[in-house]
Amino acid sequence: MPPRRFDQARPFLTLGIVIAVWLVLPVAIKGFLRVSFFEFQAPITVGTSYLRDLQEYWGLRVHSKPELIAAGRDLARVNASFALASQQNTELLGEIRRLEELLRLPAPAGYRYEHARVVRRDFSGWWQRLMIRKGRNHAIPVGAPVVFTGGVVGRVTEVFAYTAVVELVSSPTIRLAAAFEGDQRPVSFQGGINPTLAPPRGAIEFVPLDIFASPGAPRRLVTSGLGGVFPAGLHIGQVTKVEPSTDGLFKTGEVILDARLSEITEVTVLVPLDPP
Amino acid sequence: MRRPAPVIFLTMLLLWALVVVLNHYLAVWHVHVFVGGLLVTYAGLQLPLRRGLPATAAVGLLCEAGTGLTPGTLLVLFAAAHAVIHHVRDRVPRDQLTTRVIVALLANLGLFLVLSFLLIGRGPAPGAMWPRLITDLVCSQVFVALAAPWYFALQEQALVLAGATPRRLL
Repeated sequence: MPPRRFDQARPFLTLGIVIAVWLVLPVAIKGFLRVSFFEFQAPITVGTSYLRDLQEYWGLRVHSKPELIAAGRDLARVNASFALASQQNTELLGEIRRLEELLRLPAPAGYRYEHARVVRRDFSGWWQRLMIRKGRNHAIPVGAPVVFTGGVVGRVTEVFAYTAVVELVSSPTIRLAAAFEGDQRPVSFQGGINPTLAPPRGAIEFVPLDIFASPGAPRRLVTSGLGGVFPAGLHIGQVTKVEPSTDGLFKTGEVILDARLSEITEVTVLVPLDPP
Repeated sequence: MRRPAPVIFLTMLLLWALVVVLNHYLAVWHVHVFVGGLLVTYAGLQLPLRRGLPATAAVGLLCEAGTGLTPGTLLVLFAAAHAVIHHVRDRVPRDQLTTRVIVALLANLGLFLVLSFLLIGRGPAPGAMWPRLITDLVCSQVFVALAAPWYFALQEQALVLAGATPRRLL
C-alpha cells in the first residue's frame, strides 16, 4: 500500500527537509535567529532576577534593628581594614609607576571595572555559564575577563543588548594560560569536571617536572598574564595533585576551583581601557 | 483560534522559564535539570505534523540560544524526537496519561544521551564527567515524571481555551 507507506515516512521526510534547509541556510540568518531568540527570552530571565532581588529586599526588611546595628558595626570594621589596604595599594601603585618610568618599562593595560548582577546560572554537566545584567548598553566587550572576590570567574563569550553571557572557568570550553604562584613558567589550564555536591575541578597540562603538589601541600594557581585576556596574578584555584604525563616530558594535574563559583550573585567585568 | 502552534509554543516557553529558574537555584548543588523530552512530547503525540513541528523547532532554537552549542543542534535533535514520536503515535494509546509520561521519559532519556555523547569530548577527562551526567539524568527523569501530568493538562487546557482542541485538529 504505497500511500500508507508514504504516510508513515512523512515525519522523517519532513525532518530531512528541515535538516536540509537548516544546512543550506546562510550563517548570517542562523546568527540572526540565535540573537533574536536570545533577545526574546532575555526579558523573562531578567524579569525573574528583578523578582529575586525584590524577594531578597523584603527578606532583609524582616531583620530586627539590633541585627542591622550589629551588621553595620561589622561592616564599619571591614571598611576600616579596606581603607588601610587602599592606602597601601595607592602607595604601591605609585612605587610601581616610579620604577616603570625609571626602567622605561611599558605600562600594563588598564581596566575599567563594571560590576554586574548575575541573572541566571546555567551549570549543566555539559557547560557552565552565567548571564549577567549588563551588555552592549554598558559597552561590555566579547572576551572581557570576569572576576569576583574569589578570583577568576570566566570570560564574556556573547554580548547582547542589555545582557551578556559569561563562560565560567569551570566550563570544558575554557582554556587559559596559568602559572604557579611564585613561578613564572606558564601551564595550560582547562575547566570541565563538575561533580555534584563538590567544588568544581579543572585540569592543568605542561607542568614542569620540578613542580610538586599534593592535598596536604597544595599550590596556588594564578593567571600568567599571557594571552592578553586576563591580567597576571588572579587566583584560579588550588592544585592538589600533579603526576607525570604519559610522554614523561611534563606533568598533568588537578585544580580545585573556588566552591563559591556556583553561588555567585555579583561579578566584576574587567573592560580593557585600550581595546586591541 | 485555529493555529495551535503559537499556543503550544507559549506553554513550552512557560516550562522553559520555570526550568531556567529551577536550574538557577539547583546550580548551588551542581545539579541540572533537562526537560527536552517533555517539551516535544505533547506536540509530537497530539498535533498534526505541520502544526506541531514548527512549535518544536522554535523551542529548540529558544533552548539553544545562550548555550555554547553549535547553532541548530537542539533544533535538529528536537525535530528528530518529534518525528520519531509522531511516527509511533498511532501504535500507542496516546490519550492515556501513563503513555504520555512514558513517551516523555523515553524522549528525554534519548535526547539527554545524544547530547551527552555529542558534548562529552570537549572536557579534559570525559570519563570523569559521567557520574555528574548520570546524576543530572536521574534528577531530570524524576522531574519529568512529576511535572508531566500537570504540563500535559496545561497544554490541553491552553488549546481548549484557545478554541483549538487536539481532537478537532486531527
